[in-house]
Amino acid sequence: MKAQTLRRIAPYLFLFPSLLLLVAFVYAPAVENMVYSLFSWSSVRTDSRFVGFDNYRELFANPIFWRSLVNNVLYAVISIVFQVFFALVLAAVLVAGVFGPLLRNLFRTAFFLPSILPVTVVGLLWQLIYQPTIGLIDQVLWATGLQGLSHVWLGEEATVMISVILVSQWQWTGYMIVLFMVAIQAIPNDLYEALRMEGANRIQQFFHITMPGVRESTLILAIITIFGAFKVFDIVWVMTAGGPNNASEVLGTHMYRSAFRNDVSGYAAAVATVIFFITLAVGIIQIRLQRQD
Amino acid sequence: MRHLNLTGLLLATTASFGFATAAMAEVTLSFLHKWPEPENMAYFEPAVAEFEAANPDIKIKMEAVADEPYKDKIRVLMGSNEVPDVFFSWSGEFGKNFARNGRALDITDAVYGSDWKDSFPEAALQPFKYQDRLYGVPINVDAKFMLYNKQIFADNGIEVPQTYGDFLAACQTLKEAGFEPIAFGNQYPWAASHYIGELNAKLVPNEVRLADYELTSEPDALYTHPGYVKALEEFKKLNDEGCFNRGSNALTHSIARGSFVAGRNPMMYMELVEFTEIAPDTPLGQAGWGFFPLPPIEGGEGEAGLLTGAPDGFMISAVTEHPEEAIKFLKFLTSPEQAQKYVEITGMTSSVNGSVTPDNASEQAIEGLKAIDAATGLALWLDTDMDARSTEVLLAGSQALLNGTDTPEAIMERVRETALAVQKERGNN
Repeated sequence: MKAQTLRRIAPYLFLFPSLLLLVAFVYAPAVENMVYSLFSWSSVRTDSRFVGFDNYRELFANPIFWRSLVNNVLYAVISIVFQVFFALVLAAVLVAGVFGPLLRNLFRTAFFLPSILPVTVVGLLWQLIYQPTIGLIDQVLWATGLQGLSHVWLGEEATVMISVILVSQWQWTGYMIVLFMVAIQAIPNDLYEALRMEGANRIQQFFHITMPGVRESTLILAIITIFGAFKVFDIVWVMTAGGPNNASEVLGTHMYRSAFRNDVSGYAAAVATVIFFITLAVGIIQIRLQRQD
Repeated sequence: MRHLNLTGLLLATTASFGFATAAMAEVTLSFLHKWPEPENMAYFEPAVAEFEAANPDIKIKMEAVADEPYKDKIRVLMGSNEVPDVFFSWSGEFGKNFARNGRALDITDAVYGSDWKDSFPEAALQPFKYQDRLYGVPINVDAKFMLYNKQIFADNGIEVPQTYGDFLAACQTLKEAGFEPIAFGNQYPWAASHYIGELNAKLVPNEVRLADYELTSEPDALYTHPGYVKALEEFKKLNDEGCFNRGSNALTHSIARGSFVAGRNPMMYMELVEFTEIAPDTPLGQAGWGFFPLPPIEGGEGEAGLLTGAPDGFMISAVTEHPEEAIKFLKFLTSPEQAQKYVEITGMTSSVNGSVTPDNASEQAIEGLKAIDAATGLALWLDTDMDARSTEVLLAGSQALLNGTDTPEAIMERVRETALAVQKERGNN
């Protein structure tokens, strides 16, 4: 009897420590943040004042918030195209043995390398590459007679966000390729053999075996990519700090600037809450889609 | 003060148990500043060691982060109630914000009640006052000048401009000679704020400008003087007429400075404390360089003799457990002997009386200090003198002006709206 009770409560005992840590460091701060968002306060001030939903009203009326949100969505869409779609195609090409083993390994390593560099290093490196006049891109454009295409990539409102997003793709697409290669290699080879005997070409094999075979991984990687796009902060802060004229502001930098430059921490907490609900919604969609399998 | 009594009580108790020496040895002051560069730490590290040697009962825990991140770091520390005992602050609104919110210790009596006050010119203390009480002491004084390459000026027959019109004409001459006349990096738009601050000071009457910055103007009048729009127009004109280099929004100030020091640009708007960045063996050092304050604008309603600049200094946390030790440390740092070493090692210009001499400072630095003395006053750095939120609007606007995507009128309208909101907010507290 006693052993049976113990067995019944044992799983809970094992779960308890990690649950405690989760509550203390994830759930409690998230709830606390929502409470903070209802107050007008700042880190410098020692008092705070309850303002209800004023911070949210101010947030939704602020064009910089909307621009940030649009930038995050753009970030997510472009990241899906590169880090899920292109990465999957490139992974399939590399696995399919189009190249010899030497070339294949060379490409894989070359694509993967950027992802092991620290984001700050990548940001500063690309800042130099994008530099007007002395930067690599500008010099190549001038040398090839294409100076008409020259832009101050990080200094113009129209080009800045896309320039930053592309750096992110440069850094992470290779990483996703490697993850997809692992998923593709897990597909049983006899499926391919069977289809080959039926006379299917490589493109048909891709659509009929590879894509369905990595459906699960694709879903998870897509969700991770979207999460990343909504939480992005570091690469933007390093390369442009949200400028010029807030054109490359994302929710993360908008939140940070509000809290630590503008001294409106309640408002910043409201931004954080919005980010929380967006990512929560994405997470719920993921769970739903997985359940359908 | 309750803390002090408690400490006293503890000390007395421990002493009675015979552990006095052990307890005496441990007062640790945390000290945060914004000069982590090797040439600056070369002063601070020995200074701290010297202070510790002279005061064996006090230990200093020093930390330093660079200029831009400092603005975030100090706020994070305040938010988490881990305020350093002694910390750096810009003068003007940046420091007043700490005073207003009860974060900085009132040191009026410590300075004015002793001979400590004789160490500083009153003008250098003024920017650290809030409601007539003193909250900080200055360590250096800095100002903004237009530096120029003497060789390029001579080659193109340009004299040092005496009027703003001369200055614009010089830009045109240099542009026609194939130069990008002024090196300018505005990726972090505090760089633009120095131009705009200086232009505001030239175009807006002093008392109006100060009342607007401090948000004490009547709500109807706040930031409505036409001088503000004119200042942004003049700034835009510098860009549109090709005075600035291409792509200033994508260049950092230090990259632009590199280009100026390499002799590629004839002029750059720089701070007195940056003079040491121009080594004698650089192309600019070889060509020779001089500087001039931006000349007054004809018909401007501001005070013509003002110079953009400010003292930097240190404050003491309002909740420090060791105010006496902290004051002792600041007195040490601002003593004439230390100030002379500071000038000699860092190349900065100290605001401590008699600390800058031909023995420890360059000819240009001494000339710069003379220009500060000759100025009728200092217009403080715009981005530390206006409230933070209105500043952010104006700074982002400066980048839009350079890109031609917004107008001076629209930007000032947004500044006014933001300033009104902050003014209302402050009234509520």
